[in-house]
This record gives sequence, C-alpha cells and structure tokens, in this order.
Amino acid sequence: MTTSAVPPALAMRGLVATFGPTRALDGASLTVAPGTIHGLIGHNGAGKSTLIKVLAGLVTPQAGTIALDGATVTGMTPGRAEALGIAFIHQERLLVPTATVGEALFLGRESAGSRFGIRRGSLRRRAEAALERVFGVTLPKGALIRDLSTAQQQIVQITRALLADPKILVFDEPTAALAQREVEHLFAAIRRLKAQGLTTLYISHYLAEIEQLCDTVTVMRNGRDVAHVDPRQVPEGGLAQLMIGRPVTELYPRQRAAAGEPVLALAGVGVGPGVRDISFTLRRGEVLGLTGLLGSGAKDLVRALFGLAPITAGTVTVDGQAARLKNPTEAVRRGIALVPEDRRAHGVALDLGIRENLTLASLGRLSRWGWLDREAERRRALDLIGELQVKTGGPDAPVRTLSGGNQQKVALGKWLAREAHLYILDEPTIGVDIAAKAEIYRLIAEAAGRGAGILLLSADPDELLGLCDRILVLFRGTIVAEHEAAGTDAGTLLQAALTGGRGAAGAASTVPAHAA
Amino acid sequence: MSRAQARPSRSISAAELLRFGLPAMLALVLAVFSALAPGFLTVANVTGVLVNSVALNAIVALAMTLAVASGGTDLSVGTAVDLGGLAFIAAVSAGQPVALAVFFGLLAGIGTGLFNALLIARLGVTPFLATLGTLFIGHSLQQLATDGGNPVYVPAGRITPALALIGHGSCLGIPLSLWLVLLLSTGIGLLLTRTRFGREVLAVGIQAPAALYSGLPVRRILALISIASGTIAALAGILLSAHVNAYVPYAGNAYLLDSIGAAFIGTALSRTGRANVPGTLLGVALFGFMTNGLLLIGWNFYWQQVGTGVLILLTLILAFAGRERVG
Repeated sequence: MTTSAVPPALAMRGLVATFGPTRALDGASLTVAPGTIHGLIGHNGAGKSTLIKVLAGLVTPQAGTIALDGATVTGMTPGRAEALGIAFIHQERLLVPTATVGEALFLGRESAGSRFGIRRGSLRRRAEAALERVFGVTLPKGALIRDLSTAQQQIVQITRALLADPKILVFDEPTAALAQREVEHLFAAIRRLKAQGLTTLYISHYLAEIEQLCDTVTVMRNGRDVAHVDPRQVPEGGLAQLMIGRPVTELYPRQRAAAGEPVLALAGVGVGPGVRDISFTLRRGEVLGLTGLLGSGAKDLVRALFGLAPITAGTVTVDGQAARLKNPTEAVRRGIALVPEDRRAHGVALDLGIRENLTLASLGRLSRWGWLDREAERRRALDLIGELQVKTGGPDAPVRTLSGGNQQKVALGKWLAREAHLYILDEPTIGVDIAAKAEIYRLIAEAAGRGAGILLLSADPDELLGLCDRILVLFRGTIVAEHEAAGTDAGTLLQAALTGGRGAAGAASTVPAHAA
Repeated sequence: MSRAQARPSRSISAAELLRFGLPAMLALVLAVFSALAPGFLTVANVTGVLVNSVALNAIVALAMTLAVASGGTDLSVGTAVDLGGLAFIAAVSAGQPVALAVFFGLLAGIGTGLFNALLIARLGVTPFLATLGTLFIGHSLQQLATDGGNPVYVPAGRITPALALIGHGSCLGIPLSLWLVLLLSTGIGLLLTRTRFGREVLAVGIQAPAALYSGLPVRRILALISIASGTIAALAGILLSAHVNAYVPYAGNAYLLDSIGAAFIGTALSRTGRANVPGTLLGVALFGFMTNGLLLIGWNFYWQQVGTGVLILLTLILAFAGRERVG
C-alpha cells in the first residue's frame, strides 16, 4: 500500500504448514501496512484459519518468517503473540459460560480489581462503561455468559479484546452472529481504532463487509495468497470471483414454486410479554422472511413455533389443523423443522457421526418394531451426504471434524431426511463461506420447490431479498412492515427494523438489547 | 477445515491403543498374578471370582452403563440393590411365595428409579445430584426399616427350594447369576447399538440440547433410563439376598464405586468414547481379578483399594494419551 520506508506492521512470508498429506499453507504471504484495515478472504480450506493460527503461535510452520514492525519474530507462542500486542477475536466462543459479563471482560487482567480480590460493584460498572463505549449497548446486569445470546457473547468477547489495548487486532468472522445494528457499531469502533493508529486484520465471509470496511484485501486460495487488491477498485462480484477462482454462478437460485395450501397460519399469537399479536400465513412453496433487531421478538417467536417456549395467546394452525406446540417432539410430529442459530450447541451433536446426525430426527422411519435398519440408515445417510455435497472422509466421521458450512448442511439435512412440511431457519448461513452458502440456498429453494413452507429468520438483507417471496419486519414484538421482496430494498428493510417503520432514525438507541 | 487437517496421521496406533487397551490390561493383570500366585489361574479360582465377585458387580455396572450412556451417573444403584433386597427378603420372611417376593423386589427397584425419574425428568435436577439425594433417602429408609441397621434373616422354615434356586441354582453347570449377566449384557448391548431407543439414549448422552432440537423426547428418555437402571440394580439385590438368605442393610453401596469405575473405564477406553457393554464387562472383570489376585499374593484389604485405584488411574492415563492423539 505504501512505498515509504515505514516497515509493515505485519509481514508473513513464504509460510508452509502441512498436516499429514495436506498442505494447509503452501508458501502463503501476508503484508499488512500499519494503521490500515486489512481484509483476508478465502473459502473454507483456503488456509486463512491456518495462517491466523500461525500468527497466534498455535501452529508452527515448517517454513517461512513472521516480522512485526520490521523485526523478525521466531518461535511464536500464544503468550508471545499476546505480549507483542496481537489480539484475536475468534469465531468460536471462548468465554467461561458461568462467568458474569464483568468477570468475562476483566478476567486475567491485572487492573481487574483491588489487590485483594475482585470488587464486584466496580467490575460491573466498568463492564457496563466498556460495552456502552464500544457498542452502545447495555447487557443485563450481572448476567452470566451462558445466558446471553450468541450475538451478546460475541460483543463481550470483542470488548474484552479491545480492553487489552492491542497493536494489531485480528478479527476472525466477528460479525457472523451480530445483527446489523451491532455490525455498524463494530465497524464504527474499528474505524475509530484505526484513527488512533491501530492495525486491523479482518477475516470475513461477508464480502460486502470487506468492501465496506477494508483498505486492502488479500485473497487466499489453496494455501497461497493469490491476489492483493483494493476492494474499492474491484468491480461488483470481483472479490467472490477471485476467491473461488472462477466466475460465481448465481448465488440465489431463482426457481419459484407456485404458492400452495397454507402450511402455517398464525392469528394474534403472543409469546410471553415480549411478542404480541402476530398474524401471518405461510403457504407451501413459499419462502417467508422474518427480520428484526436483537430484542425484536423474532427469536422468541420461532422458538415458540418449535415448542421451545409456550405460546401465550392466539392460535397456530399447521396444515389446516389447530396445533398445540407444547414441546419440540410435538412440533416435529406436525412436520415442523428448525435449523437453530447456534449450530454447534443445538443444530448438530458434535460427537455423533454424520450418519447419526442426519438420521437423528427420522429414526422412526428407519426402524421397525424399535429395531434400527442399519443398512437403510447407511444408504439414507450416503444419499443425503451426496445430495447435500457434504465434504467429509466418510459417513461415520464425527460432525465436529467438519467445517462450519458442512456442519450446517448436516443440521439442515437432518430435516430433509424427514421431508418436513415447514422449515424454520434461524440465520442458516451464519459463519458459512460463500461456496457452502450457495449450496445451502440451493437446498432451501429445492425444499420450497418440493412444496415445503420456509420461514427464514435472518439479519442479512441481501439474503432476505435474494431468497424470500415476502419479508416481515418485527419491531418490539410486533410486525411493523410486510414487503414483497421484489418491491423493496435493503435500506427500506433496515429502516423498518431500526425504527419500527416510523421514520425517526434516533429510535434505534432505545431498543433494548435483552436476550432475544 | 483446519480441525480436520490438524489430525495427524500417527493416530492409527493410538486408535488401536484405545480399542485394545482394556483387553490388554486384563491380560496383563491375569499374566502378572498367574506368575505371582500359583493358585490364581485355576478353574476353581477363576470360577470363584466370576460367580462371587464379577456376576453381581456386572449386573449393577450394566445398570450404571445405561445411566452413563444417557449422559448421567446413577449414584443410587446401591440403594436400588438394597431396597430390592429388603423388599424381597421381607416378603419371603412374611411367607409370600418367592415369585411374588421377586416381584416386590423389582417393584422396589422400579420405585427407586421412578423417584429419580421424577427428580431428573420432571424437576430438571441433574442426575448426579438427584441420585445422590435418593442415596441419602434410601439410607435413612433402611435405618428406619431395620431399627438402625440390623440385618433381616429369613427364618429357617421359610427357606424354600424356590428361594435356594434363586440363590444357588445353576443351569448347565453355570450359576443363575451368570446367566442373568449374559442375558442382560446381550439385551442392553443390543438396545444401545441396534435399536432406535438406544440411539436416542446415546444422542441425549452426548449432546442433550441437540437431541431436544431434533425433536427427541429427552425427558421421557431420561425417565425410562432411570427406571431401567433401578430395576436392574434391584435384580442384583434379589440375587444377593437370596444367596445369603438375608438382607444386610447398606450392602448395596459396595457395588456403587465399582460399577462407576467399570462403566467409565469401559467408556473411556473405547474407540468411540461411548458407554458400551463389552467395555463395562471388561472393566468389571479387571476389578474382580485385580482384587482377587492381590488377596492371593497376601496384600491386606486396605492395600487392595490402593491397587484398584492405581489400576483406574493407569487406565485413564492410557485412555487420555490415546484420545489426545486420536483427537
């Protein structure tokens, strides 16, 4: 970026890292100029995770060098990385589930409290101040990490890293679990830190974010850096093409089934105190979008529709019959499927095999008198693995060994095996690379084409506009807008989600950030 | 992706280590004691160990295996053994037919399991704490029923051939208790590996939230497992008390730690890391022969416990070394 004598903040050159027969890094280089926001993209397996692990001292490369501000660093370890002022914010949550927000923020930091133990009151005040400053949000006082939503946990993690005053900040998919408003807070925070001279390395699957945020982008493919570009100079779709190495075929499938009978009808539905008077009808073959900020009630609604929370008012009709969805077993029996937001906790059983995960919701069809037909199960699993294009060594590998995108295909495939009538998809492409994303979109469109109704909960306006027929916007527990996807745009959706459709931009700050 | 890549190729030997670790350990124990104690590897001694130690331990450990498979630990298996034995002996002593007494004994086990099920499935108490509560309550119940812990002996006149058959009977030269072990092992082994219910149990044990989000009736599964565990343990109590024609308070707790040890060692030293019947049985045999061998070479009772402890630690070190490499 600069040709002056200032050495790069970070220079990694000619890195090679192999695991068994696989060359994860094959001569990869990365140069980050000081005080810039540098994007790193590449689909799963391109080597960007390994590159970051080398930087973090978690993987020792067989060849190559690392230099910080022109000084070569050898024998990198996690402790060394921290001492050198490199802070990492990972995609996976690394917070202690039973710590409070304050404890999680200041745990292990010398300034956390008095010499004689941690003063809880001051800790909480400082935690609140820090969160307020970075994100402009308040979290429940003294809340435990495990009770926070994924997005809230991520906010805490990012805030924690920023408190350490790092020189280089590395974000690994930080926005995957964040709602749009939080993403904007994060970007504002990153830009503010840039103005203070901080260097940022930003890894994301969301190419739109990269274009919006980064000064320079390094594209990785097959363990090597293949392109170095200024994202503002690249034409539309150019980054995706560089990443995949060939032109991107249409990301959103454009086959549309004619809408059939209603599969789900809600009339005046309420869930607890937070969600009121929800009415809509979803027909077979239709993809209905549902969006709203954290705290809009959209999450509570979909949880209740899967029997995970009680419906306290109104009526729900599934396939023309009144339904009492008192637990997930009942919901599944009525043909409802849920792909939950927290894939690793709820969507898949990490230590069960791929086959066992894929058939977990349809064991009844694969058994007779309670006995599993293991041959039928195996065939079914292999068929699904083929149909879903899950990249794996074999059907019995634990799902833990799969990449995020492939795990998500398994979470979705479990319901394809049941031929569910109604799919509730909660942020189905979170933390998923663009190739897997396109495949998940294809599967969604195919399910709709076979006559299933799809309820898609998403914070990504592009995804909603690309996939849905209609989009409902929730604000403070009620539907404030309904748009035909063809007749609206991201700005309109965002405006409705932020303001409840009432126009005043300032209203956003009054939205409570309680657990959705 | 990087996770899969980080898996090095030297894992094959580690996987083998896990698969054959337990049989190898048992073979080692047998070999060492055969060399040290001349009377160890004789038909009489081996049969003695199998009948007197392994059989009942195995039945209780199989009950524990079900609990472990579902992700819990049943601390009240000993209580179910005791209450089963108490109900059985009380009924026999009162002159009830032995078949009816067996029914009462099993009913006591079902009751214990039902109480656990209530706590775990209905009230959401973690299995460990729920069954700990049951353990304490069961202890008090036995005190109350026996005036502070006096054994109940079957009056000489009530020792019928039917009672003797349960306590000492055999078929084809193999004692009833071992037949029962064979039956239960086969049944539970098939249940866990070949049936829909077994698969659901394992899914709940491995990641209960994911099972719930797949529509499995998690609470009902946990309740059924609790009841099955209590019932099977009570069966051991019936056999034990029929064998000695008496009910001895708190005797069942002797089986608790061994059953936990066997079920968890069997789980830890398996390729898949899941509770499994062969692993549990090998674990029980390992403990049985270890104790017997130490006795034969003249170690006193207190040192036997040390021997068992060291064995467990060795096994676990082996398991963790293996698991580390397999991933």
